Amino acid sequence: MIKDESTLNVMVETVQKFVKERLIPFEEQCSENDEIPHEIIDEMRELGLFGLSIPEEYDGLGLTLEEEINVVLELCQASPIFRSVIGTNVGIGALGIVIDGTEEQKKKYLPKLASGEIIGSFALTEPDAGSDAASLRTSAVKDGDHYVLNGTKRFITNAPEASVFTVFARTNPDIKGAGGISAFLVDKGTPGLSLGRNEKKMGQWGGHVCDVILDNCRVPASAIIGEKEGVGFKTAMKVLDKSRTHIAAVCVGAATRILDEALRYAVDRKQFNKPIADFQLIQAMLADSKAEIYAARCMVLETARKYDLKKNISTESSCSKLFASEMVCRVADRAVQILGGSGYIRDYAVERFYRDVRLFRLYEGTSQIQQLIIARNMIKDVS
Amino acid sequence: MKILVCIKQVPDMESRFKPGAGGTWYDESDLAWRMNEYDEYAVEQAVQLREQLGESAELTVLSIGPDRVGEAIKKALAMGCDRGVHVQDDAPATRDPWQIAGIIAAYAKDQGYDLIFTGMQSQDRGSAQVGVTVAEDLGYACATTLVGFAFADGTVTAKRELEGGIKGVVKLATPALVTCQLGLNVPRYPTLPNIMKAKKKEIQAIPVAELLKEEPLAATVSFHPPARKGGGIVLEGEVGALADQLVGILKEKTAILR
Repeated sequence: MIKDESTLNVMVETVQKFVKERLIPFEEQCSENDEIPHEIIDEMRELGLFGLSIPEEYDGLGLTLEEEINVVLELCQASPIFRSVIGTNVGIGALGIVIDGTEEQKKKYLPKLASGEIIGSFALTEPDAGSDAASLRTSAVKDGDHYVLNGTKRFITNAPEASVFTVFARTNPDIKGAGGISAFLVDKGTPGLSLGRNEKKMGQWGGHVCDVILDNCRVPASAIIGEKEGVGFKTAMKVLDKSRTHIAAVCVGAATRILDEALRYAVDRKQFNKPIADFQLIQAMLADSKAEIYAARCMVLETARKYDLKKNISTESSCSKLFASEMVCRVADRAVQILGGSGYIRDYAVERFYRDVRLFRLYEGTSQIQQLIIARNMIKDVS
Repeated sequence: MKILVCIKQVPDMESRFKPGAGGTWYDESDLAWRMNEYDEYAVEQAVQLREQLGESAELTVLSIGPDRVGEAIKKALAMGCDRGVHVQDDAPATRDPWQIAGIIAAYAKDQGYDLIFTGMQSQDRGSAQVGVTVAEDLGYACATTLVGFAFADGTVTAKRELEGGIKGVVKLATPALVTCQLGLNVPRYPTLPNIMKAKKKEIQAIPVAELLKEEPLAATVSFHPPARKGGGIVLEGEVGALADQLVGILKEKTAILR
């Protein structure tokens, strides 16, 4: 749902310009140094990118999901690490509070998350609980009006930068599955909370991931999102329904940029006395990529519209995430093929994007988990 | 102090232009529209002056065109203008610079603006006539192609760009109009929160018929892309023969050798 088209167009134009002038020129440097310069993050903050999805009453922009997607499609024409910086505040690191938080929790955290003053992080995955998130082992034992948290969270995006973590922990050990899980807001600096080393990743250098370790970490009972025990997993699933659509848009944005790089190369590069774009086998790769990007774009926007109408998008968001994340990897692979040897060389953005986009098939639910969600929903509908 | 900044919405210059059906302007379908680059410098300078003067100043942005120019006005409001004026005109490209200036002057004449900013020229028509003609119509002092601007005690100090990199400095008493050139400043990005806030700022709509009183003085008779250049010439053969061929071509087709 687009509330005001001309306002959205001005936003999209602004982000396009910012991407072209302030992000793309720095993406190689950020990757090489495994760090985004502070001044760039400050500029992103000032532009208001951290508050896209946070409601206006908490100083965010309050965009509908369709509007957010339109902005993200432009932002992701630059390296995915820039989106990753804002990604947890726009998505999983803030949505739990937006969707299920108490008024007090919203007032405490959302304005700071919207301005980018603080970074939020989403701590669900564990060493032995990845796709099977409901089996998580991190425990939260009640002790008076506090809980004591113990466990390790793995591959937590933006953890090194985060000031508040949404930590999922088992408050009822008697319930082995989802029903025993609660979501806690744990502030950085809480005694017992520490971080592991920055993981060395295949791609998305400049974006940071590490373990979050909870060792007798004591938090007040008021830190439970919504102050309700046992509904944390439901909160996580609601968060992921929306954020998977967002990630699918990230894939479409990245694929658009990758195809643009491949197309420009194909038009310029000459072999056999003509541009390689004149060869039909190259054209087939360009056309397949264009068609797949268009399909994914339509899926994402349609899913967003449905979300904005307050309809259940569990199946559609998984379809979008599954298709778009697989699609962007195919587009990146074809782009490397079109660039030939150059596509394997670091001087070309395509080489970096090829590594960067591989993550999209893994996080916020692997492709296989998306398939399970889709199929289970289909079967449930006819049972 | 009352300040007016006049902006035009033009196509993204990376667009592929093709002549429209009448052959006197480009086809406006399927184009992305942007604020004219020179007008961005004008808006930025006007906003900086507005910030310098504080609450004692009011900054209005004006644009002429169909509904789509509302986006350019919103961008200027998000950059810091206080209010907008949208002169509704579905066919601005059919007006010559004399008429466009006449429309702006007709709006501004009773408003008591102390200072008017415009871009040096538009990126699409490029006549560079509108700003100076508005100044003439209103009887304002005028300085063009500004690359530096200062305002104090009712006086504008304008650094102008002349040919060959030479600069000139002129002082103008208000009321005055200045046209802005590349290099004057670095236009700010309208932040996303300010774009949202701009929705609440007033945009006054005025039908162009209320302001258009002038007949055109110049008619565009043709709009066409440059003729396609022929392909390059590839010379082949031994070095000596190549040199002879090259000298022959230079003598025959250029004025370099005679």
